[in-house]
Amino acid sequence: MALLVALPIFVVAFSWVLPKHELWAHFFENLLPSLIHSTVILLVGVGIGVTLLGTVLAYLVVMVEFPGRQWLEWALFLPFAIPAYVLAFVYLGVFDYSGYAQVWMREALGLPGFDIRSGSWAIILTFVLVFYPYVYMMARASFKRQKTNMIEAGKLLGASPIRVFFKISLPLARPAAAAGLLVTLMETLADFGVVSLFNYDTFTTAIYSAWGDFRSIEVAAQLASLLVLVAFFLIHFEKKARGQAKYYSTNVSNKKPYQAHGAVGWLIALFVFGVFMLSFAMPMLQLLIWGWGAVASEWSAKYFDLISSTAILTLSAVIITLMIATVLALPNRCKRGSIWLQSVIRLATLGYALPGSVMAVGLLYGINQISAVNIYFGGESINHIVFGSIALLLFAYVSRFMAIAYSSIEASAQQIKPVFTQSARLLGASRLKLVMQVYLPMITPGILAGGLLVAVDVMKELPATYLLRPFGWDTLAIQVYELSAEGLFERAAVPALIMVLFGSVLMLIFQVLDKHSSKGA
Amino acid sequence: MIKILIFSLLATSSIAAVSAISNDSVTVYSSRKEHLIKPLFDAFTKDTGIKVNYLTGKGGALIERLKLEGKNTKADMFMTVDAGNLWYTGSQGLFQAVQTQVLKNNIPNHLRDPEGLWTGLSVRARTLVYNTERVSPRDLSTYADLALPQWEGRLCLRTSKKIYTKSLVASLIYHHGEGKAGNIISGWVNNLAATPNAKDSHVMNAILSGQCDVGLVNTYYYGRLVEKKPNLPLKLFWANQDTTGVHVNISGAGVTKYAKNPKAAIRLLEWLSSAKAQAIYGALNKEYPANQSVAPDSVVSAWGSFKQDEMNLSQAGILQATAVKLMQKKGYR
Amino acid sequence: MFINVMLVVRNLSIQYQNNQVLQGFELELAQGEIFALLGDSGSGKSSALHFIAGLDETHSGSVILDGELLSDNGQHQTPPESRGVGMVFQDYALFPHMNVEKNIAFGIDHQSKREQQIRVKELLFLVDLTGIERKYPHQLSGGEQQRVALARALAPAPKLLLLDESFSSLDQKHRETLAKQVRDVLKKTNTTAILVTHDKAEAVAFSDRYGIIKNQKLQEKK
Repeated sequence: MALLVALPIFVVAFSWVLPKHELWAHFFENLLPSLIHSTVILLVGVGIGVTLLGTVLAYLVVMVEFPGRQWLEWALFLPFAIPAYVLAFVYLGVFDYSGYAQVWMREALGLPGFDIRSGSWAIILTFVLVFYPYVYMMARASFKRQKTNMIEAGKLLGASPIRVFFKISLPLARPAAAAGLLVTLMETLADFGVVSLFNYDTFTTAIYSAWGDFRSIEVAAQLASLLVLVAFFLIHFEKKARGQAKYYSTNVSNKKPYQAHGAVGWLIALFVFGVFMLSFAMPMLQLLIWGWGAVASEWSAKYFDLISSTAILTLSAVIITLMIATVLALPNRCKRGSIWLQSVIRLATLGYALPGSVMAVGLLYGINQISAVNIYFGGESINHIVFGSIALLLFAYVSRFMAIAYSSIEASAQQIKPVFTQSARLLGASRLKLVMQVYLPMITPGILAGGLLVAVDVMKELPATYLLRPFGWDTLAIQVYELSAEGLFERAAVPALIMVLFGSVLMLIFQVLDKHSSKGA
Repeated sequence: MIKILIFSLLATSSIAAVSAISNDSVTVYSSRKEHLIKPLFDAFTKDTGIKVNYLTGKGGALIERLKLEGKNTKADMFMTVDAGNLWYTGSQGLFQAVQTQVLKNNIPNHLRDPEGLWTGLSVRARTLVYNTERVSPRDLSTYADLALPQWEGRLCLRTSKKIYTKSLVASLIYHHGEGKAGNIISGWVNNLAATPNAKDSHVMNAILSGQCDVGLVNTYYYGRLVEKKPNLPLKLFWANQDTTGVHVNISGAGVTKYAKNPKAAIRLLEWLSSAKAQAIYGALNKEYPANQSVAPDSVVSAWGSFKQDEMNLSQAGILQATAVKLMQKKGYR
Repeated sequence: MFINVMLVVRNLSIQYQNNQVLQGFELELAQGEIFALLGDSGSGKSSALHFIAGLDETHSGSVILDGELLSDNGQHQTPPESRGVGMVFQDYALFPHMNVEKNIAFGIDHQSKREQQIRVKELLFLVDLTGIERKYPHQLSGGEQQRVALARALAPAPKLLLLDESFSSLDQKHRETLAKQVRDVLKKTNTTAILVTHDKAEAVAFSDRYGIIKNQKLQEKK
């Protein structure tokens, strides 16, 4: 099964058996050196940024009581529901030279204007604000599982809150935060929307240039395989970072170890609220302003189709992905020794680093190869049956988003002490009973978190959906793209707002389930 | 939840049934966006009773899909923007030749493939746009002159990754040769006031906010902007009027090689070239009609007429790779 | 010998939501004295300990330690990190990502590396666990973990050590031996301590003096 999920990866990797293209010389000379440089800067900047912001926010909402904490804890998830390129678009509209913020700065404060798209800092900040929820979400779940008496012990030994954070809470949350960081870096590598808007060149730029400009799907696939290689190393380092430490903990208390009173409490609230404003409220306000005037002309019965297509695709993809990811995450614990199995699982999760359209075309080429084999043995091409079927599109989603479901479930599976398995088996539990009554309830938080992430990602997914969807299966993301690509931002705001609304509903469901499951634990 | 799975599997088969080929329907792959083509297809169905199924997508990706589907493709017609894309699709053997009298009458020669593989359906001009408060039109002349030192720190350009930039540079190579074209690009890059923008609308915003004074845009983006805000200090300038003329590009379509219903596809193509369709086309997107008997939309007519670059548009396709390499060498992002 | 009053607790009341569990709790401990607090689960004995440590804010009462007013009528004047109170938890709460040496040195990081090393050695010797500096908590037995936790709590030389059901997760035999061992260590270091437990025999053996919480009141026994 994992092998099947990894199909696009194999297609991309096998591109190397194709002859080398003369294009490589041109790329080496003119493109790659600067691209690799800018990609590394981007990854490092975004990596540091999301880790800091994500863990600090998670720590604050879990460990500290401050004004507004309860709703901010949930509000901080909301930026997830906005596609990255929509956020980037709004940021440019507000903060670029011609944006309100800069116009006001020049006119009211007399400051000189500047080009925010030059250099790397603005795009790094944008990515950080778009992707911090990954780290936030995973770190939050991990902090919640930490024993409060660990922190109390730290306090009584004289450690300040900051020292407790860096020396105790953060190291304990490291596996979870690393999983979130990994997802972020893979998303950043695969992104095309945000980097195009900022006109920032990354490795993906070269892939698209090989394909779009020079019509060489071979060189594009070869370049993409390098991207996969980078992802492979990232995963390896993440596993290393988790190390041998076994952090099992139970005994969760709802009491907040820190109470932030007075000015400190308000400062913390202001900081968290500021992040929420920048990453969600401000972009939403802009979308509302745009959408308000356009809703009458844009809304039509067509939207019922868009919404139902989006909902059906999202739900189906989530269910399939979760089922496979759960199966992959469980036996991995029992067959710890099997290097073969672990490598296959690792391969199956690499799809996340592939840009959506490269992965989609890779999938088409894979199917085409199967057809070729079929024809060789006297059969017929299956291309026309498989292309444009829901099955293929769902397959693409599963392939691409397996990583997030898997890493989230696995992080939670790490919490299962071997003694649970041992004691359950000694009590005569069958394998099935062990899974159903011991494992599943324990990894439910991970499944929920993974399911939410996959749902929101599928809902926002554009390139693979755009290429692989069956006739008539337009989604909200496609509508957003088609309108905004033609500069019709006011109208594009309408489907974008519906998406955000859906994302928020998902978040609400998640919140209820999460509270329920943590009560049960 | 299982129900939804079953439902979606059922939906797959029902969709397959809907899109099964019937004589009174035609299937189109289009990289033109839905909101630009749907009104046309609706009108066509009303006129002829032929139903149009369509699938929108990105040009390059749709071409790959067409290629891989081969003779089993459901597409009868492929519609896209940019002559380079049309030329490439033709060169990959994905179109069939269509030479009908109606098309010859409706669309001038230079907007059609010599072998009839594809037909241009609308014309978009890429020209200079300037801030009327800071630039006198007397200082403007050609694309090449934007490379002069007098424009240092005053120029805004769209990214080199967009097809319109690539085609324009292909035309520079065609007219001036690669060496001089390279110098022009270097000059542009040197004169840039900001990182090249992702969109033409961003270029115009930058000019309006004073980040730069002059730029290059497709006219319909300007058209959409002034339709909403008529009194902006922003004007178009027709480039190269004393020399080669304004660079134009097209959107167009062709009948696929393995069309299941070529008759209906040809009928659709002819209908799209008709005066009625061309008027809708022009009004929807502020483009110039390819059919010369149709007057442009009133907003567009107000900009006056201009001399077009008569370079055969296949050249944009042939020279595209050279153009991209050149821009990458000269550091035009 | 001159008897120095180390800890004074005045009028401590504990309530959970609207349920009063402990009322008017008063306690005075001399320097080096070991007190045991007995009670059923839910009697508020653990909460009393947490309040004295400054970890729990929801109750009322005053705490004076070594002449310093730490909590005044339910308001903590001094946060837990600067009270000079140490605590050994029921499940030890050793930091799983740090080895024994790092765990013990956690509270004395203001000292130089050399001083820290010496102090860790000294404490490990005291709790009879030499040579395990590099081991991680999950490599130790329950009794060993408990003694490391004790060493960690003693490292900053707290004025008051709180033991919260510290022996209850061990088996009977180890429990008695360890309780005796810990008592010896506390006496050697002249540390004032309170042990919370539900085991009367343990309380009697471990303490100089003990009290039982019954009907929301503390009843002292000698």
